[in-house]
This record gives sequence, structure tokens and C-alpha cells, in this order.
Amino acid sequence: MPAPTASSLISCLDVQARIDDITKATGWLGALAEAEAWPQATRFALELSLEEALTNVVSYGFRDSDAVPRIRIECHRLPEGRIAVRLIDNGVPFDPTTIAEPEVPASIEDARIGGHGIQLMRNFLESLAYAREGGENHLTLVAGRPD
Amino acid sequence: MHIEREQVGSDVVLKVAGRLDTPNAKPFEASLMEVVSTTDGGLLVNLAGVDYVSSSGLRALLVAGKAMRSAKRKLTLSSLQPQIREVFDISGFSTLFEIS
Repeated sequence: MPAPTASSLISCLDVQARIDDITKATGWLGALAEAEAWPQATRFALELSLEEALTNVVSYGFRDSDAVPRIRIECHRLPEGRIAVRLIDNGVPFDPTTIAEPEVPASIEDARIGGHGIQLMRNFLESLAYAREGGENHLTLVAGRPD
Repeated sequence: MHIEREQVGSDVVLKVAGRLDTPNAKPFEASLMEVVSTTDGGLLVNLAGVDYVSSSGLRALLVAGKAMRSAKRKLTLSSLQPQIREVFDISGFSTLFEIS
């Protein structure tokens, strides 16, 4: 994934590979949304998608890894009111963009538990892009396309 | 997240407020499953006070929904805010649950 063109870094945050730090990350993003006066839909899309992506990294990224976890979140301002959130981690390679969405089940008995995170990200975001660079996962979430 | 429990006849109403996110998903699931395992009537989950739900929150509802269905008991969700409803629609959960 190339760097967003003509972007400016608004803020960045380092978090630990633990569930409680998901609250820290979404709280940080919520404060940026307030400060930058993002539309509610942009805020919701990015907050939800960051949580989904970070939950994957925290839950599975370091389970089979000896690496000391390094997780960094960057927030960039893009042209035309778009916002990019980039999640960078040194966990095992994982490209969520390749995950198949769960089929719509006929009943609750048939419903599969899990896999809905990627479905929500694809629907709420304008784009979702992955790259493996220098031993790190780089996942870029973009939202905020003008109507 | 805050959950209030009320007994209405043989049914239980859980009024949920706050965020159904990953950090809250386990305690939310535990509250639902506590009703499933200790009562035998219906369960109504009022989501009027919920302003955020992620796939972890959906997962908790699905676990409880499956348990209620296999026990042939009724689980109903009510009062979803528009953004929450959108999450349910996208994930297909709107058709899996009875929503009033």
C-alpha cells in the first residue's frame, strides 16, 4: 500500500498488545474526531474499523510470534475531507483484506460465530488496503468521502 | 457499559447502555448467558442506550441467541439506534433476530 498522497499526519499512538488498549485507541481516535470536527459517519466508520483491526492484531498477531509487540496507529488528514488511519504492527503476517465474508445464514442455528469484523470494515470504509513492509503489517483504513 | 435487569412475569428484560465493543463483549455475554442459564422464560434485550456495537458485541448476542434457540426460548432485541441498526443490517443479524 503506497503512502496516502498529499497527506499530513495529525497524530500517532503506540499501544500494547492487550484488549484494554483497544479502549485507549478508540478513545484517542474519538478525541481526534472531536478536535477535528469529523462528520459522525466518518468517526463511526474509523472507530469501528480500528477496533476490528486492532482486535485481530491483539488477539492473534503475537500468539505465534517471539517478537516484542510494537503496535503504532497513525492518523492522517487526506484531501477532500478524507481521513486515513494506519495500523502498523510487527506481528505475524496477516492480510484481513483477503478474508472471505461469512455467508448470510438462513437461521440463527446456521450462523457462524466470527468473521463479521471484516464485513463491517468493507461496508463502512471507503477503502481498506494492506501491505507487508519491513517485517510489519501496514493496514490503511480510509473514510470520509464527501457526499 | 451498564446493564439493568428487570423481571416481567416469566421474562427477563435487560436494558443495556453504552458501548458493545471488544473490551465489554465478555461481561455482556456473561450477563446474557447468566439469564439463559438461570431462568426459563423469554429474554428481551433493550438496546436503546447502546450507541456503538462492533463484531465482538454481535458475537455475544449470537452466542446467547443460539443458546436460547436450542432451548426453544424467545430472544427479542428492541429499540436499536439507526447506526446500530445499520451494523445489524450489514452483518445479516437483522434477519437472524426478532427485532421490535
